[in-house]
Amino acid sequence: MGSKKSFSIEKKQARWGFAFVVPSLVFFSVFNFYPILNAFYMSFFNRKALSKAPPKFLGFDNYLRLFNLETAGNELSFLNSLKSTLVFTLGTFIPLLIISLILAVFISFLSSNKSKKFLQVAYYCPAILSSVVAATIWMLIFDPRGLGNQWMNALMGTPGTDHRWLVDPVMEQVSTMVIYFWKYIGYFVILFITGLASIPPTIYEASTIDGANKWQTFWRITLPLLKPTVVLVSVMAMLQCLKTFSTQYMLYSNGAPRAPINVITFNIYITGIQQQYLSRASAMSIVLFILMLSLTLVQFRTTKSENVEY
Amino acid sequence: MQKLKNITLPKALMVLFLFVMLLFTLMPIVFMLTASMMSTRQIVRMPFNWIPEGFQWENFAKAIMGNDGTYIFLRNISNSLIVSTTVAVTTVMLAALTGYGLAKFKFKGRNTVFMMIMATMMIPFEAIMIPLYMVVMVLRIQNSYIGLILPFLVSAFGIFQMKQYLTTFPSEFLDAARVDGMGEFGIFTRIVFPNCKPVIATLAILSFRGQWDNLLWPLLVSQSDKMKTIPQYISNFALERSTDEGAMMAAALLASIPMFLLFMSLTKYFIGGSAVYESRKG
Repeated sequence: MGSKKSFSIEKKQARWGFAFVVPSLVFFSVFNFYPILNAFYMSFFNRKALSKAPPKFLGFDNYLRLFNLETAGNELSFLNSLKSTLVFTLGTFIPLLIISLILAVFISFLSSNKSKKFLQVAYYCPAILSSVVAATIWMLIFDPRGLGNQWMNALMGTPGTDHRWLVDPVMEQVSTMVIYFWKYIGYFVILFITGLASIPPTIYEASTIDGANKWQTFWRITLPLLKPTVVLVSVMAMLQCLKTFSTQYMLYSNGAPRAPINVITFNIYITGIQQQYLSRASAMSIVLFILMLSLTLVQFRTTKSENVEY
Repeated sequence: MQKLKNITLPKALMVLFLFVMLLFTLMPIVFMLTASMMSTRQIVRMPFNWIPEGFQWENFAKAIMGNDGTYIFLRNISNSLIVSTTVAVTTVMLAALTGYGLAKFKFKGRNTVFMMIMATMMIPFEAIMIPLYMVVMVLRIQNSYIGLILPFLVSAFGIFQMKQYLTTFPSEFLDAARVDGMGEFGIFTRIVFPNCKPVIATLAILSFRGQWDNLLWPLLVSQSDKMKTIPQYISNFALERSTDEGAMMAAALLASIPMFLLFMSLTKYFIGGSAVYESRKG
């Protein structure tokens, strides 16, 4: 008898548990799974917004068009979009990773807790500004008469030179990287500080007793133990960079040339929303999705195999 | 003197590097603050003088009045506040509810549901915005709060955080409440929810900030000036007032005040919030 009663309680419990997860499940089905499937489906048609004609099935034509090598010469083609995205991602995430790691290690070397705290908060400050505000500030700094030129000229001893921050194709890419780096550096410093804090101090004590200096300790002990954090931070930074949009949008809408900063997300926006080629933009979305998905899977794999037990 | 002797060259270089990076991160923010009080003539003067001569109130007046004197700034910043707050509230509530369901109840398919929700974390918003835009057009909810809010009601990351946190919540409390005759929903609202404050604060901040910073989705949904959000306002203002740099910085500063206030009162959760990501590994 007792077992029968507990069985019905379990059943009731199961119903409640299911009721609690249903709202989110419905939400994700409608606003995540359906759209990604729909994007995939649409990418095989020639759907255009506001067009009355029924969409025609194209097969892989949209994808072939995106990766058509003959379009490589066209500076607004998808292939060049991929290139600008790659340049932006590598050019941003590598400095982000290295400098935030150095800053975190240096901060951990400091003896006073107050300055540790202060530096963390100060480096984090740019992250609370929105991307649009960040881009606006830096657009003024990169003005021909702005601080960017004044600082660069003071540093390099080239008085009166205009570095054409927002005009020259390469400098424009550098500018977007600087803005992005500036905004996210504090965020990654904190991730690394958390990672460093999770290494038990006894390990450092042991290495000091064994006669290792700080430099050796860093290369032989801290860095290997920090490897999971390094992997995590690099994948997160890369994913973050692949999603960049606001910075490029701001620079472009204020007159900077589009081609060098025509990253995938920006291209999707222009193609799908401004030019109304929904299917072509969907094909780009799927490429972006596959890119990010493979990065995430790499992260899962490495973090699983690299887990360190202390 | 004793102290000075301890300062070695590597240590000095280390402090120098920390200091240079400190200048790099803070200078642009200080620039925004001082430039918002300056006249354009003073901002473009070379070399730049960091101390403002007098206080240009007009900058702030222009920023608030907008390009055409319609005070649309006030409407746009309220829109952002409404959207960000609503998203923060729904994210926290739904994430807590779902996280609780996944952490404390056994039911058929629980793991499948959890894996499905985690899988959505791999779908970037940028990849589904075109189909979502079509949904918005079909439902005719362009230029509405519903349209702005709908795709962000709950986040998979939030559910994950809540589930992790609630798994360690002692089940004895829940059972005791059940014995006392409390309903399941009452247990959630009166016992579980009030006990996840740290996760709630972190999640609320993350989702509020996510919407405060969101430019892409409002660009798709809001075409009428009345329904635009603050990133769109700043972007339009910067475009049309590109020669009035003081007013541009005043607008940027005004748009950042809510986040600054949040940051100053809840620094711990901001910093902790980014560290939360760390627990995703493994």
